[in-house]
Amino acid sequence: MQKMLMYLWGFLYNNYLRFWLKWLLRLLTQKCELQRVLEGSKAGARRTLSIEHSLESSKNKILRNAVHVEEAEVEKCVRDLMKEKKIKQKDTGFKTDLRISLLQISGYKKLYLNVEDLRKIPYDSDNEEHEDQLIELWNLLMPHENLKARITKQWCDIGFQGDDPKTDFRGMGLLGLMNLVYFSKRYTEEARQILSHSHHPKLGYSYAIVGINLTEMAYSLLKNGALKSHLYNMVFGLPQMEHFHQFYCYLVYEFDKFWFEEEPESIMHFNHYREKFHEKIKGLLLDCNVILTLGDTKKP
Amino acid sequence: MGLLTILKKMREKERELRLLVLGLDNAGKTTLLKRFNGEDVTGTAPTLGFNIKTLEHRGFKLNVWDVGGQSSLRSYWRNYFESTDGLVWVVDSGDRERLQLCGKELRGLLREERLAGATLLVFANKQDLPGALPASAIREALELDSIRSHHWCIQGCSAFTGHNLLPGIDWLLDDIASRVCPPD
Repeated sequence: MQKMLMYLWGFLYNNYLRFWLKWLLRLLTQKCELQRVLEGSKAGARRTLSIEHSLESSKNKILRNAVHVEEAEVEKCVRDLMKEKKIKQKDTGFKTDLRISLLQISGYKKLYLNVEDLRKIPYDSDNEEHEDQLIELWNLLMPHENLKARITKQWCDIGFQGDDPKTDFRGMGLLGLMNLVYFSKRYTEEARQILSHSHHPKLGYSYAIVGINLTEMAYSLLKNGALKSHLYNMVFGLPQMEHFHQFYCYLVYEFDKFWFEEEPESIMHFNHYREKFHEKIKGLLLDCNVILTLGDTKKP
Repeated sequence: MGLLTILKKMREKERELRLLVLGLDNAGKTTLLKRFNGEDVTGTAPTLGFNIKTLEHRGFKLNVWDVGGQSSLRSYWRNYFESTDGLVWVVDSGDRERLQLCGKELRGLLREERLAGATLLVFANKQDLPGALPASAIREALELDSIRSHHWCIQGCSAFTGHNLLPGIDWLLDDIASRVCPPD
């Protein structure tokens, strides 16, 4: 019953009330919703999320399409939008702010597509580039030990499942490998430290496999839009692949801490703790002021 | 609580079955479970530990346990044997190098006392991929015909596309039902 009332309210609000409320506010303040949002909040997630919502629920096609604008088209899009909303072109404050929000909104969608493209490329052991990255991962993590062969039990030392990692990337494809390599390259010390934690006799876990599971977590948070708050606060422009990798690094670093704080009975309970950690991160991302970066160990 | 309710409750309990999905790593166990549950199967990652899902199918309540297959996890498999009605053994039909190991692990399971009463369904998975051996070849490689201890059946399938999953599961349920659930 309550659900039905909520639904009814949502329907009425979105289809009728919202329109009249906006009309009334416009009459009172002499400003359109976009102007009110940009003036009423400082740059960041709260502002950009409101702009995004306003544009997406607009009845005007120019406004609705603005969330998909390409980087090169953004100046023109802002001008068209201002013309449509009868805002003076010399209002440079509005122009700059809207431009940033549009870049964030469309950039997020673009970033998702790029991440999805990498995820869809299966790991291919006949591809030299893929193989090079895999070997690079080994060398970064195990600088004092050489791989004795391409197919060897040694891979288990960095937490792959068997003697050939090629099947371990599964549905995360090349994205999983690139995440692992990025973390080991950018935060080599931390990566080696976490790898050594993962060899703990009681609380140990499979480093690479956990890493691939965390790629899945980062990917799904990006896909369902939960990562918007973080990225809109973090990047005042187009979010890049780099920022996705950075967020992954944060997850790996924090998960390791979380795992040792929780002291699970055995690795068999991994999924339970992964979900618990997932809920924790989702909770953090609900905060409009959130920025999740890997400690202050090394600034990017 | 009336007598009828009690009887009904007992009956419901009887229709609750426990299925255990095992196999080597990368056999497709999690994908199979997700597909059977109608979930998206594209974004999988290797299973550490286990997944459990409760599904309704043909009036049965199925508790399906999917346990990770990497060698370091296999020693934990035994923790999941208790009161298993059906064992689903998943095989990557393209993984020729490990077929022998696959057969060895399966025979090990069939010797387990706590799995003695379970029906065995072998899925020759990944039939959608080029180079996959047909179910008949898997049957031979795993020496299924020498199994006397369990009711068994092999079914070629693709967990990814969902092809032929249902015939396998239906056979499994029919076989279990004929043992544990009295006919209506």
